[in-house]
Amino acid sequence: MNKKDAAKETLLKEIARCRSCRFCVDVCPTYQASEGVESMSAYGRLQIIKYLLNGILEFDDSLTYFLYSCLQCRRCEVICKGKGQDIDICKVFQMGRSLLSQNLVQGSSNEKI
Amino acid sequence: MDVDLKKLTKDLAKLVGKENAFTDRPTALAYAKDAMPWDVEEQNIPYAVVRPDSSQEISRVLRYANEKKIPVHTHGSGTSLVGLGRPKTNCIVLDMGRMKGLEIFPERGYFEVEPGFHIAKLRKALAPYNALLPAFPGSELVATIGGVVSVNTSAHAIDATLCKPGDYVLGMEVVLPTGEILQTGTESTRKPAGIEATKFLVGSEGLLCVITKIRMRLIPLPYLGNIVAYYNRTEDILDTVMAMYKQGIPTPMFFEYLDEKSSKVGFEAVGLKAPPGAVAMITIDSSTQVGCEEKTRKFLEFLKVGNPIEAKIVKDKGEWAQIWSSRAEAGNYIYRLGSTFGSEITVRVDKLKEAFHEAQDIILNLESYKGNEFYSFGHIGAPTIHAYAFIPTKDIPNDVKKAVAKEVRDKTEELNVKYGGCGGEWGLTAQRATFLKKKYGEVYYNFLVNLKRTMDPNNILNRGNLEGWM
Repeated sequence: MNKKDAAKETLLKEIARCRSCRFCVDVCPTYQASEGVESMSAYGRLQIIKYLLNGILEFDDSLTYFLYSCLQCRRCEVICKGKGQDIDICKVFQMGRSLLSQNLVQGSSNEKI
Repeated sequence: MDVDLKKLTKDLAKLVGKENAFTDRPTALAYAKDAMPWDVEEQNIPYAVVRPDSSQEISRVLRYANEKKIPVHTHGSGTSLVGLGRPKTNCIVLDMGRMKGLEIFPERGYFEVEPGFHIAKLRKALAPYNALLPAFPGSELVATIGGVVSVNTSAHAIDATLCKPGDYVLGMEVVLPTGEILQTGTESTRKPAGIEATKFLVGSEGLLCVITKIRMRLIPLPYLGNIVAYYNRTEDILDTVMAMYKQGIPTPMFFEYLDEKSSKVGFEAVGLKAPPGAVAMITIDSSTQVGCEEKTRKFLEFLKVGNPIEAKIVKDKGEWAQIWSSRAEAGNYIYRLGSTFGSEITVRVDKLKEAFHEAQDIILNLESYKGNEFYSFGHIGAPTIHAYAFIPTKDIPNDVKKAVAKEVRDKTEELNVKYGGCGGEWGLTAQRATFLKKKYGEVYYNFLVNLKRTMDPNNILNRGNLEGWM
């Protein structure tokens, strides 16, 4: 397994720990700022990264907006820990951004991003 | 179904405004998954998400969808544990998150709330009016009042004491799938006698209408007394509940339990020492302080019937909060250790013990997975047993997750059929078409299908839930 595939697997494993309880949705400041769009919440972003990594989603302009709008404030992690799951949500986003940025560089149709 | 996504985007933007209509795939996917253990499949992914802020906008969306025969899935906060939160067909998701109006009328004895208002925030808003909100879901931080009334769940609270939220709903504003806006019920605290639409629209799980306003009684907040009881075995708690009903002892407002293994996880999760066995947490209500103290003392005395190791009244609020939260956190922390597959067993109370043992036997002898463990907890005084199959890993293929969830569901539902019960908390029709047919027969099921057809001729609302999908 190459380094990228290993990172992808690690990331998917971490996301698989999510219970979809959605307690992290409301506490997210960007979700609040968007007046409640779930793709702008921590939970939404976890789903989006998962679907990008497993190929259900293809990269497009709207994705950069969802992924890079996270403020890394970690409010989601506080509630996630409080509800027993303790997922490193912000780290998942950082790794997701890093992996997907590599895709961007390599991809032809999204080089403008 | 072929839907022209570009046209749909344009049309929905006209109906609710461009900023409240989303057809991008990332947003659609963020609304597709719920707490069901397996991942979404193509048919679960919405075409679009719309976020209306009035019944008029909802009416416009439904009229449009009905005309085009596009399914519509109503989304509160998506916290259902039995799949109500997951669209079963490609659809327009109607996110009720912007419908958050609240007006409290103490002089009229009720409040009016829009469906997107969160339970915990509503409880807080009602507190200055000394009012009790009669619903206690474990997800109350994010769960919405619209979801609670749609499922008619009181969750933790015992029906025999507090009834269901629907019993306190005086009237509603709803939008029919064909777009008409209806007002139901009364503005009086005197509920209507005779046939009245509120009664069958409450608890209709979004199959018959979209609820846009709920008028609910302001219930005076009772005085509460708390008891914790420690037992060697879960069986002693079951004996206690059966004796409580048999002897006609007034039921408490809450009567929760954690079995021997769950209590260890729950207590340690909140920083308490693991108890020696199973634990019961009981909250007694009364309209006066003196009455509450007397009732609590009498219940403590009654608890001797189950031979607890120790049973005591807990007066310190901090101590009680910690004990109580151990029950709430047990489910979360068990999940942390692996994968859980839940069930809801709400049998006739005289069959409680038999049903519990059979549930344990079912869970420990699954055909779809070998080597799982058994955990149980729940609102035993109601009675509700949540019997869980626990698999100590998260690394399970989707098809195995589905098979285990289905087997646990099918076999525990057999217990509800065998011992006279029917789901009491999580909602019925999401995955239980087969259950309805087994328990009540084809005639009953067809009656529900015909009712749905009468109100929703093109079957646009929450399509797939009544048909069954597991």
